[in-house]
Amino acid sequence: MQRESSSGYITRAPRSSGLADVLEILLDRGLVIDAFVRVSLVGIELLTVDLRVVIASVDTYLRFAEAVNRLDLQQATDAKGLPDLFKKGGEEMAEHESKGAVEGGMDAIKEKIGLGGRGGDDDEDEEKGRSRSRSGSRSNDR
Amino acid sequence: MTRLYLYGITRPREMPDRIAKDGTSLVAADGRAAIVSELEDDRPVEATRRNLLAHADVVERLHEDAVVLPARFGHVLESKDEALELLAVPEVEQLLQRHEKTCELTLKGKYEERVFAEVGAELGPLRNAYRAEPSFEAGIALGEAVGEQLAERRSRDESLVLDALDPLVREVVVSEPAGELAAFDLALLVERDRVRAIERAVEKLAERLSPPLHFKLVGPLPPYSFVRLALPAVA
Repeated sequence: MQRESSSGYITRAPRSSGLADVLEILLDRGLVIDAFVRVSLVGIELLTVDLRVVIASVDTYLRFAEAVNRLDLQQATDAKGLPDLFKKGGEEMAEHESKGAVEGGMDAIKEKIGLGGRGGDDDEDEEKGRSRSRSGSRSNDR
Repeated sequence: MTRLYLYGITRPREMPDRIAKDGTSLVAADGRAAIVSELEDDRPVEATRRNLLAHADVVERLHEDAVVLPARFGHVLESKDEALELLAVPEVEQLLQRHEKTCELTLKGKYEERVFAEVGAELGPLRNAYRAEPSFEAGIALGEAVGEQLAERRSRDESLVLDALDPLVREVVVSEPAGELAAFDLALLVERDRVRAIERAVEKLAERLSPPLHFKLVGPLPPYSFVRLALPAVA
């Protein structure tokens, strides 16, 4: 399915992975043929409004300020030679927080379009993952 | 009359077993074919997780071997005749020819949180003021400045990436990146035999820009972002 590059900064996937990718692509892109086909859909009209996370809000600014301050303090403590453990904890927390912000948005969308809960998502992701590893190895053979 | 769900348009071909057994078939005429499956009733198509993933699976699987113009999710044809009518539109043939050997790669960039430390380094006085007294006003002042720095950083990195990839791509769709730490969101139209070159170019970019930038490269996909049809609207 997905693999990380040796440097760890590139995620490579041969196919759209998971609902987030697919939602964005299938509802926002693709051939639209008004003259010939009727788009016959239930419950996704608000998607384009919510998918893009808007940045300019008071709440966002306060979080930015907090993040800069926290990372700043963290660097200062690093310089004083506190144990790595301390720094690690901070980074992990940061990772969780930023993930929460983005995924929260997607969850809200999924809820609105009735795509069900998180539990089901995980199950099916595994299923999808298996079929992808096959296509991945095919492309390596070429 | 049976209604048909439209996945996309391709060239007439053998359907892989895995796809055929799910009831997906081709309506073909004159070297063009609509990828469809029969709908059992008159209800609208529901945008469920299962349906969305199935649609992506069909067009992406078929695109592995040959051109596919993927339809947006939710298109329904009223009859087989309507499918034939669609295939006869000249623009459809033009798009098929244009995409005979292309694919789409999506490239997204996202910053690690440490980008805040980097943009914050420029903002000493505001940062000190906030640390001395973390008031609402000081927070907004600092946060706004961080937002501006981040926007500049984003646009700089997006330009660097676009410049580096420009010689390798036929066309690019640039979208507004989604998420506070997102850096850019690009759809690249490339020749299928250029995928490896793009991968190498992204590796080079990562050497320059990572950390704090993370790249996510997906594809080869059907040309989802490059199949705009300019058909006259029929009343």
